[in-house]
Amino acid sequence: MPVGRAIWSGSVSFGLVNIPVKLYTAVREEPVRFHMLHDQDKVRLQRRMVCPADQKEVHPEHIVKGYEIAPDQYVVVDQRELDAVLPEKSRNIEITDFVDLASIDPLYYDRSYYLLPDKNAGKAYHLLLQAMQTVGKVGIARLVMRNREYLAAIRPLEGVLALSTMHFGDEVVPASELEQKPAAVEVAQRELQAARQLIDSLAGPFDPRQYHDQYKRRLHELVERKARGEQIVTPPPVSGHKGRPVDLVEALEASLARIKGEDPRPRRATKGAPDARSSSRGSRGKSTRR
Amino acid sequence: MNATVNIGRRLLHLTNLDKVLYPQAGFSKAQVLNYYRRVAPVLLPHLRRRPLTLKRYPGGVDQQFFYEKRCPAHRPKWLPTAAVWSKHNGADIRFCLIEEPAALMWVANLASIELHTYLFQAPRVDRPTMIALDLDPGEGCTIVDCARLGLKLHRRLAAMGLEALAKTSGGKGFHMYVPLNSAGATFEQTKTFARDLAQRLEREDPHRVTSNMRRDLRRGRIFVDWSQNDAHKTTVCVYSLRARARPTVSTPLTWAEVQAAVRRGRPEALTFEAWQVAERIEKRGDLFSQVLTVRQKLP
Repeated sequence: MPVGRAIWSGSVSFGLVNIPVKLYTAVREEPVRFHMLHDQDKVRLQRRMVCPADQKEVHPEHIVKGYEIAPDQYVVVDQRELDAVLPEKSRNIEITDFVDLASIDPLYYDRSYYLLPDKNAGKAYHLLLQAMQTVGKVGIARLVMRNREYLAAIRPLEGVLALSTMHFGDEVVPASELEQKPAAVEVAQRELQAARQLIDSLAGPFDPRQYHDQYKRRLHELVERKARGEQIVTPPPVSGHKGRPVDLVEALEASLARIKGEDPRPRRATKGAPDARSSSRGSRGKSTRR
Repeated sequence: MNATVNIGRRLLHLTNLDKVLYPQAGFSKAQVLNYYRRVAPVLLPHLRRRPLTLKRYPGGVDQQFFYEKRCPAHRPKWLPTAAVWSKHNGADIRFCLIEEPAALMWVANLASIELHTYLFQAPRVDRPTMIALDLDPGEGCTIVDCARLGLKLHRRLAAMGLEALAKTSGGKGFHMYVPLNSAGATFEQTKTFARDLAQRLEREDPHRVTSNMRRDLRRGRIFVDWSQNDAHKTTVCVYSLRARARPTVSTPLTWAEVQAAVRRGRPEALTFEAWQVAERIEKRGDLFSQVLTVRQKLP
C-alpha cells in the first residue's frame, strides 16, 4: 500500500518488547511546482549566494550561521556547536504512555506516517496491533528523525499501525492567549434552535473524497492548456474619461457641498478618538483661526 | 461623485469624491484631495525625484490598506517613473515620481492617504540627502517625552556643528532630520552615525531610551530608530496625511514650538490636523525647507 521507499527504519519498544519497523509517509502532497527561467532565453536559473558588500559569490565553506539578537548584531554559531546540542541519535520509538484518542485535540497533530513491520517482526508487530485494537488506546512515543526530536501518537488503522508526529505542548498557542477573543454574547433560545437545526441538516459522515483542492486543479488546467499551445491573455485594465472636464476646485467644492458642513474644523470632539484634542484653548488659540 | 478635471494642461478623472475615508472624523476623499491641493506648493519640493511608495486605503482608514511600490500600469502617460533595484524581487521596480500638482492629485485619487519616500533622490539611490531619526514612544511614553529627548539630541548635534529639523510623525512619534545635501555621504556612513547617536543616548539613560527594535525592550522607553537610514527603507514624508482616527499630518515644528510643548507638557500641542497644517503653511510657509537646502558634512 505505501508508495516508495521507507523514510526511516528502527524499532518500536514498549516494556520489554522490541519490534523492528519501517516508516512510510501516509500523505502524498504533490504541489504544482514552478521553476525560475530567464525570460529572454528561458534558461533555468541558478541560485547563488552573493555578498552585497562586494557583489562576489560566496561559496558554502565561507557561509556561517548567525542569529540576529538586535538589528545588525549577530551571534555566530558553527556546525560543531550545533551538533553538540542535537538530540542523541536513536533508532528507537519508545512508547511511554497509552491514552484515549479523543483526549488528543487535532491541533496537536502534524504529519502522518505508516509503521510497517521489518523483517522477522511480523509476530510481535501483530501482537502490539491487536492488543491496541482491543484496548482502544493510542500510544504516545518519542522518536528522533532527521536530527529532530518528535513526539508521536501511534494507533491501529485499517490493519496497520499509523504514526502521527505531534507538536509539543509549548508549540501550541492556547485559545486563552488569543488577544481578540470573542466576547460572550447572550443568544436567544429560538435562534440557537434554528442554528442547531441547520447543523443537523448538514450533518453526515466525513467523506474525504468529497473535497478537492480546486486551486491545484485550476493550476493543472492552466499548465495543460498552455502546453497544448492555447494562447492565454490578460486583458489590460479599462480606463475611461467621462464627461466634460471641469476645474479641480470646482469639482472638489461640489463634492464637499454634497457632504454638508464643508470643512470639519468645528467638529472637534470625537468620542474615543485617541488623538482628539479636548478643546481649542491654548497656545495656538482662536487668533490663528478666522 | 466622479469628475473629469483640468489641472494645468493635464486631464484627470477623479472618482468617488464623496467617499468618507475617515469615518470618525467625517473626512471625505474630496477633503483629502483638497488638503493635498492646498499644501502642494510646499509638499512637492519634498517629493521631488523621490521614488514614492503608495500606502492605499481604498475602503478608508479603518479598512484594509496596502503598500504599492510599483507605479500602477494605468498611470497617466505623462507621469515620470524611476527605476530602483529591488533585492527582494531581483529586478528593477519602477516607482512613481510626483513632480507636479496633477500627479499629486492622481495619487491622492488612488486613496494613497499616506506618502512614503526614500532618503535619496533618483537616480542616486546610494546617496542619502539626509539622516532620519525616528523617536518612537513605547507603552507609557508620549510624544512630549520624545520631544524632550529630541531637544537633547538637537543640542548634541548642534555641538557637532550640525543643524537638525523636527517634525511630528503625525501619530505619537517625533522625527528629526539632519540635512546633508552633499555628494559624499553613503547610507553606510549615515546609518553608522545614527546608530552611534542612538546607542550613546541609550547608554546615558538606559531606563528611558533604547536603540533596540525589540518590542519587549520598548515598554516605558523611547525607541530611537536609527535603522531607517537605509537605501531600502522609506519614511512618511513631511506634510503627508496619516491614516489615523482623525486626519492628522506629519507636521514640521520650530524648535521654539518643541521647547514650549515640552515645558507645558502638552501632547496636544504636537498634534496637527489637515486644516491646521494648511493654515500654518499659508501663514509661515515651509518650516521644513532647510532639509532640502542646508548642505552639511558628517563630522
